[in-house]
Amino acid sequence: MNNRLTRRQTLQLMGATLAAVSLPSGRLFAAADSLLEKPLPGSGEKLPVIGMGTWRTFNVGGDPQLLAARADVVREFFRLGGGLVDSSPMYGSAPDVMGHALEQQGRPESLFAAEKVWSPAGGSAREQVADLEGRWGIPRFELVQVHNLTDWRDHLAALQEMKAQGRIRHVGITTSHGRRHREFERIMASEDLDFIQLTYNIADRDVEQRLLPLARERGIAVIANRPYGGGRLIKGLQRRGEPVPSWAREAFDCRTWADFLLKFIVSHPAITCAIPATTRVEHMTENMQAGRGPMPSAETRQRMVRFIESL
Amino acid sequence: MMDWTSYRLQDYVPFTEQVYLRLMERMGETFWPLHLVMLALGGAALVLVLKARPRVALVLMVPAWLFVAMAFFLQRYAQLNWAGHYIGYAFGVQGALLLLIALSGRGLNHRHAGQRTAVVVGVVLGLFGLIGLPLITVLGDASWYQAQVFGIHPDPTAMVSLGVVVLGLWGPARWFAAMVPVIWLVVSGLTLLALHWPAAPTLTGGPFPG
Repeated sequence: MNNRLTRRQTLQLMGATLAAVSLPSGRLFAAADSLLEKPLPGSGEKLPVIGMGTWRTFNVGGDPQLLAARADVVREFFRLGGGLVDSSPMYGSAPDVMGHALEQQGRPESLFAAEKVWSPAGGSAREQVADLEGRWGIPRFELVQVHNLTDWRDHLAALQEMKAQGRIRHVGITTSHGRRHREFERIMASEDLDFIQLTYNIADRDVEQRLLPLARERGIAVIANRPYGGGRLIKGLQRRGEPVPSWAREAFDCRTWADFLLKFIVSHPAITCAIPATTRVEHMTENMQAGRGPMPSAETRQRMVRFIESL
Repeated sequence: MMDWTSYRLQDYVPFTEQVYLRLMERMGETFWPLHLVMLALGGAALVLVLKARPRVALVLMVPAWLFVAMAFFLQRYAQLNWAGHYIGYAFGVQGALLLLIALSGRGLNHRHAGQRTAVVVGVVLGLFGLIGLPLITVLGDASWYQAQVFGIHPDPTAMVSLGVVVLGLWGPARWFAAMVPVIWLVVSGLTLLALHWPAAPTLTGGPFPG
């Protein structure tokens, strides 16, 4: 058998190689649609609907191998148009790891840096914010939230003062796993908040009853954490080994279970963005894809809920 | 006010199993061949305590506790978990306690006569910590550097020490000296449980934890 290439084959191969090299890898995944953005209530500013969480995934300490891997995830996030990155002093070395990633690639224009103050971390809100700015290597945060309502009165008052002085741009409060929703609601009703962060996903929809309507009424942006239920939801669906339902594909071009779960969240009118966390570039690509293309209608969302409940 | 009871076990473990395993591996990579020295120390301590020489055996435990306190907890684990500093201090205090008991001579058990159960328990704990734990890690499809070794990693250090304490001490000294090893082994067990280790499907890859 003659394994030598003809001149035509050689030229075709060179052309294909050149095309592959010059094509940004995102094109292989990204649809023509751009990443959906939602306006922050009360301002003209817009935020991409898919953000990035760092709980557990970005706490890698000083491990050079894992630091490089997380920097790749961050690079992919911004390459695909990502904006909000959320972290906390409770997340161990995650703020340092974000600092390392930003140092590697420079600070992207679209970065919307969100941090938290958390009493057990020690120090006042001001001291914590200053410390976190140093760890991220950025001059100021777009958003600082009171983590899980710890000492929220003191922290929120300090954060409001910092916002008035232009030290931070937005203030917020957070909860997760459905904790302390009554108190959360009272604070939403009585305080001047720009953002709230809470747990919302297709299997955990408690906040639809009171908190999300209140957020719309009060003009508060909403960040949805634990969009995959801590990984349990998406792993459960993937483990079944079945593709997404054909009706979902037809209704909103749903291609993956990440699409299914994330589009459900960000299509809620009160939700500003979801913050899935991952350690892998290919998962980040999938997450970001979910912020593109058509979104499920209200009727389709009901069908999605019925589908999940039927499993 | 923090409502600590509303948190689940997983909420207290702020890293993934991949990071935990890499921590073990980095300790192995960084300090090899110190493992051999530490294993010799642990083995010698076990033999000496069986030969009714608990004072020297306890002294041999001290460098292992101090090294793990500094190199594992204060320099590395504390980067991942804000509680790591406190655990590191507790390991340091345990090293000081063993030295204090050895120097004071209070609670030292020089005779094993009539203590068959204690001898069996002590030997099993000591051997499991010295040999069993490293073998389990390696047989479980992990790299040699991930093998948990006495004096390098906390679990075998706590287990071997517990064996030496059971064999070489009696009365209140035994209880005091057993506290930190037992508490750490419980904490470590809960950590592994929270990480679903070693049965987690995401052991080597990255999950979608969000």
